[in-house]
Amino acid sequence: MNTQKRVLLLVGSPRRPKSTSESLGMYLLDRLNEIGLITEKISIHKSLKSDRGLDNLLSTVDRSDIIILAFPLYVDSLPAPVIKAMELISEHRKTTQETRKQQLLAISNSGFPEASQNATALNICRYFALKLGFEWIGGLALGGGAAIDGRLLKDLGGMVRNITKSLDVTAVALAEGKPIPQEAVDKMAKPIIPTWLYMFFGGVGWKRQAKRYGAKKNLRNQPYKNENKI
Amino acid sequence: MKVLVLNGSVKGDNALKIVHEIIVDVLEDNGCDIDSLILHEIEIASCLGCFGCWVKTPGICVINDEGRDIAKAVVQSNLLIFLTPVIFGGYSSELKKALDRLIPILSPFFEKIEGEIHHQRRYDQYPRLIGVGVLPNKDEKSEQIFNTLIHRNAINMHSPSYASGVVYSNQEADEIRKNIQRFLAKVGVGK
Repeated sequence: MNTQKRVLLLVGSPRRPKSTSESLGMYLLDRLNEIGLITEKISIHKSLKSDRGLDNLLSTVDRSDIIILAFPLYVDSLPAPVIKAMELISEHRKTTQETRKQQLLAISNSGFPEASQNATALNICRYFALKLGFEWIGGLALGGGAAIDGRLLKDLGGMVRNITKSLDVTAVALAEGKPIPQEAVDKMAKPIIPTWLYMFFGGVGWKRQAKRYGAKKNLRNQPYKNENKI
Repeated sequence: MKVLVLNGSVKGDNALKIVHEIIVDVLEDNGCDIDSLILHEIEIASCLGCFGCWVKTPGICVINDEGRDIAKAVVQSNLLIFLTPVIFGGYSSELKKALDRLIPILSPFFEKIEGEIHHQRRYDQYPRLIGVGVLPNKDEKSEQIFNTLIHRNAINMHSPSYASGVVYSNQEADEIRKNIQRFLAKVGVGK
């Protein structure tokens, strides 16, 4: 009998191949793989595009011991396809009898500098776990995710030292069957760069990108402005 | 007053139908001009996360489907109502697919609101917001998450006022109506 734990990373970002959710999730998955766990990765958006993809997602969730849900914060919550996947997993589990204890953790990254803005999305994940009988082993919240911009963490050096430390600590805990340690939560929540600098770079970055498309002067356009609005 | 109702009921689930009818009825009593959208009947592509709506075609999503029309209708409404089954404390995927496409109504630039960073307004005015969640029965944890989510959305969407709450599919119609009236009164519609 194979007693090695199976870990599934569910990537909840539509952005491919440059996704910060995938960067974070893959770093953790690589650490777990090094420790000796069996790892798999599935893109939720891609899976929902076909019956075969969905069947694969549901059966892989069923056979996994640890599920890592990594997603970007969209409108204070999870992206619609991730919610769709949760709804489908919930429906599917009404037809199956899972007797093993499966663990679920989530990694939420936000474009706002404060990690705390991920709290509601992580509460939704926790409640999903509770309702479906997964053991909730914690959530990691990252602010200022745009600074990573889908790049590999190993290429970003000291800028992401708190993030990699957080994921390293998390990997060890998961391998030992323990919940995410508070140290990992705290390290992940540390700002990547100071808020004022993030705001400054953000402003410059949007202008630079818009310039590339000839849209710099239109950044504040109001195409739907209704003069008659009461 | 122009009101946009976004109904996030899941296909085949009729639990929200009665609540939707009550909302429309109460709004009509208040002389509102109502536009109701049953989102599962509308093809809306998922947000691509490309930020094209900020840097390529500022203010307009790069996907040309009804998601664009909904963003326009939101900006041009005075009151926006989210009606949704409460799914793990949050919105249904049907409602969320429309909300994810609302990013272009905001500016990419940041500002501080009550000490926290949010996106600046693109428009001078935004609609008031009401979130009505529907649950089969009382579930305090779920309701707490739902109300927090509406509160957070109201901040990010620059709603001038907001209200939220949960009704139960086994409640009497009169009771649901009173709750809807209460939510509307909180945002200054009716008594």
